[in-house]
Amino acid sequence: MTPSGFSRRSVLQALAASGCVAPGFAWAQAAAGDLNIALLSQNSGNFATHGEVVFKGATIALEERGHTILGRKINLLRRDDEGKPAIGVRRLTELVETSQVKFFIGNASSAVGLAESEIAAREKIVQYAGGGSDEFTGARCNPYTFQWSASPYTASSTTLEYVRKAHPNAKRVYTLTVDYAFGHSLLKYTREAAPELGFELAGNDMHPLGERQYTQYFNKALAVKPDVILLLTAGSDFLAAVRQLSSYGLKKVIVAAPWAAELDELKELTPQMRAGLILGLNYHSSINTPVNKAFVAAAAKRYQMLPTYAMAYAYDTFRTIFLAMEKAKSVDSTAVARVMEGMQLDSVHGPTSIDARTHQTNRPYYVCLCKQPDAQKNDQDIADLVFQGDKPQPAALNQCSRT
Amino acid sequence: MNLVAAQIVNGLAIGMLYAVMALGLSIIKGLLNVPNFAHGALFAVGAYVCYTLSTIGAPFAVALIGAFSGAALLGFLIERFGIANLTGGSYLLQVLFLFGTALVIEQILVLIYGTTGVSLVPPAMLGGAMDLGFMFLPRYLVFCALVGAFSIVAVWLLIEKTRIGSSIRAGIERREMVQCLGIDIGTLLTLGFALGAGMAGLAGGIALPLLGANATSGNDMMAIAFVVLVLGGLGSLYGAVAAGILIGVAQSLTTLVAPSASTLLIYVIMTVVLLIGPKGLFGER
Repeated sequence: MTPSGFSRRSVLQALAASGCVAPGFAWAQAAAGDLNIALLSQNSGNFATHGEVVFKGATIALEERGHTILGRKINLLRRDDEGKPAIGVRRLTELVETSQVKFFIGNASSAVGLAESEIAAREKIVQYAGGGSDEFTGARCNPYTFQWSASPYTASSTTLEYVRKAHPNAKRVYTLTVDYAFGHSLLKYTREAAPELGFELAGNDMHPLGERQYTQYFNKALAVKPDVILLLTAGSDFLAAVRQLSSYGLKKVIVAAPWAAELDELKELTPQMRAGLILGLNYHSSINTPVNKAFVAAAAKRYQMLPTYAMAYAYDTFRTIFLAMEKAKSVDSTAVARVMEGMQLDSVHGPTSIDARTHQTNRPYYVCLCKQPDAQKNDQDIADLVFQGDKPQPAALNQCSRT
Repeated sequence: MNLVAAQIVNGLAIGMLYAVMALGLSIIKGLLNVPNFAHGALFAVGAYVCYTLSTIGAPFAVALIGAFSGAALLGFLIERFGIANLTGGSYLLQVLFLFGTALVIEQILVLIYGTTGVSLVPPAMLGGAMDLGFMFLPRYLVFCALVGAFSIVAVWLLIEKTRIGSSIRAGIERREMVQCLGIDIGTLLTLGFALGAGMAGLAGGIALPLLGANATSGNDMMAIAFVVLVLGGLGSLYGAVAAGILIGVAQSLTTLVAPSASTLLIYVIMTVVLLIGPKGLFGER
C-alpha cells in the first residue's frame, strides 16, 4: 500500500471492476489479428428480449464458421443502445475508437439505425441495417450502409398483390397511417401500388404515434364502406388498432397490414382478434430454402426455438458479411463494402442480390394469413405463409444520390 | 352530419372510461392533496387481475369486481404503509414515494407476466357492433359507457348519501375540522386512497378488451387522467366526470377535421383552460 492509500494492484482491480480494462483488452486482441465485430441492440428495459434474440442469431452465424474468418478469430462485442439514437451513436463511437470495430449490425429501429449510419459513413464502417425506413437506401444512402429489410415499396406491393389474388372482387381500400416517416413511406408506396392492382383508395387517416384510441377512426372508415382496411402502422399502435377493430365483429371487411408486426408480437392478441388478418413479413421460419432450413435446424438445436425476424436478421447479415470477406480475401471494410455492392448469394431467402448503388438487399417479402382459432395446433401456430413477392422499388421513386 | 353524431356517441363512451379513471385520481388528490403518480400502475394492476380471473374461468363481471378489489387492496397497502408514514414529511417525499411505487409495481408485473402484453376478448354477448343506422357502434363500447356510468353513480351515492361519504367530503374540504370532530382521519385517508385506486383498477379492467395490457399500459391513461383532473378542477369530484366526457368527445370529433392532432388537442384544451381559468372548469381552489 502506498502512503496515499493506493497501490498499483488496487488501481488495476478498480479499473477491471469498472470495465475500463475491457476496451484496452479488445484493442490488444484486434492488434494481434483478431477481428472485432459489433452488435448494437436493446438489451435493457421492456424490450430487452429483442437484444437477446438478435444475439442468438449472431451467435449461430459465428458458430457456423467456428468463430474464425480468413484465419482470424472473430470477437463479437455486444453493446446496449437502449433503443435510443443518441445512445447508439455513443456506443458505436466508443467501439470504433477503442476496439477498432469496422463491421456492425444493429437495432430494428430505423431511428437508431439512421443515426448510426452517419457514423458508418464518416468512419468507413460497414453497417447492415434492419430498420424499415426507405431512407437507408434512399435520401440518406452512403457507401457503407446496407439494408437487409425489404423496401417498403416491396412490402406494400406484395401485400396488396396477395389481397388482389385472394379477394378478386375487393375494390375500395381505406388506409390508417401512423403520422411519421415510416407511415408516410408505406402510404406513399401504397398510393403507387394500389391503383396498378385495380384498387381505389377510398380514404386515409393519419393517427399520431402512440395513439391508443382507434374507434373514432374506424367509424370514419366504415362510413365509406371499404372492402379493405389497410393498417399502415406498427408495433403497439397496430395491436391496439386490431383489438378495437375486432370489437366491431366485421365479417366482410378484409384487414391487412403490410409492415406492422412480427409473428411473435401477434401473441399479444387473442386468436379471435387476429383470425383472418393478412400480415406482411420480412421473414418466416417456414421459408423453403436450403440456407433457411439449415438455419432453422441450427436454431432448434442450439436454442430449442423457431427463429424469428430478429434472429434471422442477425444471422443472415453477419453470414453475408463473412461471405463478402471471403470473396474480398480481406477484412478491410472498404474492400468488403465494394464486394457487397452487386453481390449475389444464397441467403435465408434463397437467391439474393444487393443493389450496387442503393445497397438495398433484393429479396422476397412474405405474406401470412392468420389462422382461425380452431385451426391452431399450438401457441406458435399463428399464421400460414401464403404468398411472397419481390417487386423492387422503381428507380424513379428512389432518392439515393449515389451513382 | 351522421358522422358527427357517430363521433359524439363514440366520444361519450370513451369519455366515460376517462371519467372513471380521473374520478379515482380526483378522490386521492382531494383527500391527500398529492397527485397519485402510481395511478397508471394501478390501472395496469386492474387490467391484469381482470385478465387473470377471466383466463381461469371467472365470469367477466366477477373479473371486473376483482380488478376493482385488487387495485383497491393495493391502494390500501400503499397508503397505510407508505403515504401515511410520510404525511408529516415534505410533499416531495410523497410524490417520490408514489413515483417509485409505480416503477416497482410495473417491474413486478413484468416479472409475473413477462414483457409481452395480453389481450382479452369480451363475452360473446358484448361482441360485435349495433347498427344504429348512421353508424356501427361496438357493443363493448356501450358496455364501457354503462359500467362507467354505473360506477360513477355508485361512487356518487357512497359520497353523497353515506356517513363515510360525508366524512370523505368533509376531509376533502376541511381536513383539520374533521380531525377536531373526532373522526379517524388516518382510516378515512386510507379508505379514500383505496377507493381511488379501485377506480383506476376498474378502468383498467373495463379497458382491457379495447387496449390490452402490459406493465406500462397505464401510463398513457394516467396522462389523460391528469389532463381531465386539471381540466375538471382540482378538488372537484364531478368536474372530473364532466371533463372526462368532454375530452372523449373532443378527441373523437377532432378525428373528423385533424386526426393527427387528436392527442395534441387534449393538451391544448388543458393549457387554454388553465390560462383562462386556473381553477379548471369546476374547481373551487
